[in-house]
Amino acid sequence: MIAFFVTAAALLVTAVMVVTSKDLVRAVLWLGLSLVVTAGAYAQLAADMLAAIQIMLYAGGVVTLMLFAVMLTPRPDDERPTVALVNPERGFAAALLMFFALAMALLQAELPGGTAVAVSDSQEVGRLFLTDHLLAFEALSVLLLAAMIAAIVIARRRDA
Amino acid sequence: MALGVLPWLLLSAALFSTGLFGLLTRKHAIGLLISVELMANAVNLNLVAFGYFRGDLMGQVLALFGIALTVAEVVVGLALVIQLHRHNRSIDVDSARELAG
Amino acid sequence: MMLPLPALVLLAPLVAFAVVALYPSLRRRGPAAGLAVVTGSSVSLLAGVLMLVGQQGLDRPVAHQVWRWMPSAGQDLAQVGWLVDSTSAPMVVVVGLVALCVQIYSFGYLHDEPGPALGRYYAWHALFVVAMQTLVMAPNLMQAFIGWELVGLCSYLLIGYWWKEAYVGKAAVKAFWVNKVADGGLLLGLIVLGGATGSFEWDPTKLDPALLTAVTLLLFVGVMGKSAQVPLHVWLPDAMAGPTPVSALLHAATMVAAGVFLVVRAWPLFEGAETTLTIMCWFGGVTAFAAACFALVEDDVKKMLAFSTCSQLGYMVAALGSGALVAGYFHLTTHAMFKALLFLGAGSLIHAVGTNAMSEMGGLRKQMPGTFVLFTIGCLALAGIPPLAGFFSKDLVLEGLLHGGQFGPLALCLVGVVLTAVYSGRAVVKIFFGELRSPDAHPHESPPSMMGPMLLLGAATIIVGFLGAQFSGLVNGTPDGAFHVAPVGVAGLVLALVGLAIGKWLADGGSVAQLEGLGEYIFSSPLDRFYETVWRRVLLVGAAWLAWVDRYVVDGLMNLVGWGSMVAAERARKLQTGLVTDYVAAVVVGVLVVALYTASGI
Repeated sequence: MIAFFVTAAALLVTAVMVVTSKDLVRAVLWLGLSLVVTAGAYAQLAADMLAAIQIMLYAGGVVTLMLFAVMLTPRPDDERPTVALVNPERGFAAALLMFFALAMALLQAELPGGTAVAVSDSQEVGRLFLTDHLLAFEALSVLLLAAMIAAIVIARRRDA
Repeated sequence: MALGVLPWLLLSAALFSTGLFGLLTRKHAIGLLISVELMANAVNLNLVAFGYFRGDLMGQVLALFGIALTVAEVVVGLALVIQLHRHNRSIDVDSARELAG
Repeated sequence: MMLPLPALVLLAPLVAFAVVALYPSLRRRGPAAGLAVVTGSSVSLLAGVLMLVGQQGLDRPVAHQVWRWMPSAGQDLAQVGWLVDSTSAPMVVVVGLVALCVQIYSFGYLHDEPGPALGRYYAWHALFVVAMQTLVMAPNLMQAFIGWELVGLCSYLLIGYWWKEAYVGKAAVKAFWVNKVADGGLLLGLIVLGGATGSFEWDPTKLDPALLTAVTLLLFVGVMGKSAQVPLHVWLPDAMAGPTPVSALLHAATMVAAGVFLVVRAWPLFEGAETTLTIMCWFGGVTAFAAACFALVEDDVKKMLAFSTCSQLGYMVAALGSGALVAGYFHLTTHAMFKALLFLGAGSLIHAVGTNAMSEMGGLRKQMPGTFVLFTIGCLALAGIPPLAGFFSKDLVLEGLLHGGQFGPLALCLVGVVLTAVYSGRAVVKIFFGELRSPDAHPHESPPSMMGPMLLLGAATIIVGFLGAQFSGLVNGTPDGAFHVAPVGVAGLVLALVGLAIGKWLADGGSVAQLEGLGEYIFSSPLDRFYETVWRRVLLVGAAWLAWVDRYVVDGLMNLVGWGSMVAAERARKLQTGLVTDYVAAVVVGVLVVALYTASGI
């Protein structure tokens, strides 16, 4: 119980900080923190492997990539790029609306039973990937390859 | 853990909405991307929560897929950001307005 | 014959028309085109004569359908083909004969016209023959209407031959328009008939009396226009602006007779419509009288003959209106002969003297003997002097009026007989006797190309009169067209002789004060002025208003649609701001909408 509330609070705080920080680097770092806390949430929900992957890929890889990108795209005059908020009222209204929509849907839905049931089983997850969901797995691999190639092609220098 | 699934779902909804707020209020390309990250993260949380309370591993499988996809998307997106910067000398997303009607 | 004769009647001139129309090299050599057309007309006439003489279809009508034009469930609405029977066969020959005579005559009369214009002239002639024969042999009212309109078109084209003169163009347009007004009535009659009976047959199923009267009256409106009955006669004098051969063919013998012929053809319809017949009789009588008055004060020989035609058409219509079918039709035939002769003679005179005005002609008896004899024959026939054709047919008409009990029209026609003789006699005396008044000091007789047809028609004028019995046998099955001495006929003859004497007296210089007044009244043409006012104030105004509606309302609507779509496109274009944030916002909005919709659904 407590674990949930702590996690929840942490997640919410970091998320808000991500979207409201004026300093881009700070925002990215807050994102990283948010992702780590999410990993903790996964752990609570008996998804150990996922938690580990989350930390490796997301908190590690994605955040690093973001920081790289930030550093590689400096503005001519600024040292640290700032990201002002535009139309916060509009965004707030939309976000509120979205939350209410989702909440309404969730509250009226038939949700699975109350008690915790699942047990973490990483091996099983791997087995599932390679049997029941093989096609998706392979497609995903191709997708990742494509993304890599795409990124290289898009981002290379064009001058001869 | 005696809470049931609903609190997790509501949390995920809140995170999603927060990401949405960020998406609408940022002009910076990377700002947009991190907002999208948040939203994707919220979705993954949703999936895992469902999986846990249903008693099977589908939630984790799907969440793993989600992570992979998001990573791919971020990679390409960042490549685009770099190109945008090269072109327009700025990563204000609104600077690329050649397609204005 | 590989082709049936009626087809030949129609095809020969049609082929001639096509050849002249499609080959400018032929057309530009005027006489060559004329030769082609004359060939076509000759073949057509030959076929027609063979039809008549060979009794083809005369005992039993031969109706041949060439094409199902408007098929419909049950009975076809209209078909295209021909109907050869005892009514149409004589008319075919009349039309063919006069047409051929006129076309040969044109070689001489128009010989100093430029080639291309002449080619055009002959082309329209050929078209006219086709159209007229189509009308004559029409198996139903619809095809007759087509022929009717086509001859109207040819009339316009041929009147307007010398269109470079302003008054010629106006005359052609006037002819066309007055006929068009009348054709409105005809068309309405057609529509009512078609609506009531489902088809346009000459002999339709029984119509109830009111409908019958309506249909026949409307058809008669068309007849009034085409056959120049008062008050729709105003176009005929102006139509004299066309070349004289055209006046002879169209406006004396054939086209104006088409109206009369239509009534003859549709006799099953008209027979039962007593009201219409009475109305027709009165119109005919009034026309016979009034037009004769007009002819009396005319100095222009062609205009005089035009009014004379008008008057004689009135006789025909009156005869038909009194139920004397044979009389009307017979008079049509004889009139075609002698009126065409008269017009050709007038053309001969005009060609020689260079003017239409009778007051400038005189004493031409010696210089133009042939014309003198033939023209006199024509005038005597017109006046109704035996043994010429006009006597027999006019006699039949008068008898018919008497037997039909139409005494009012009969009285008018009898007075008309006097007047007819007066102006005929006056014409002959004025033109051929007395001193030479013409500006051209040496008028000469006309060339053979002109004299030949006149001779032919002159012979016809003499002969046809005796064919009354055969004619009646043809049309009616009974020989009551045979001549017999009757009081009214004798009265007519006496009146005619009296008239001739008066005519001579007038021509010799006598004049009547009343005539002067009448002449002035006629020349001020009140009817024409009335029509012109209607035209200018009503029709043109209405047309201008409609044009405004078309330009600003109908077109305006279209322009509005175009303008509207362009404005909308401009507005829509502004949506594409090119800003990514806007697009993101748009996506989010879409997602929100979907989310809300789904959420509310659950």
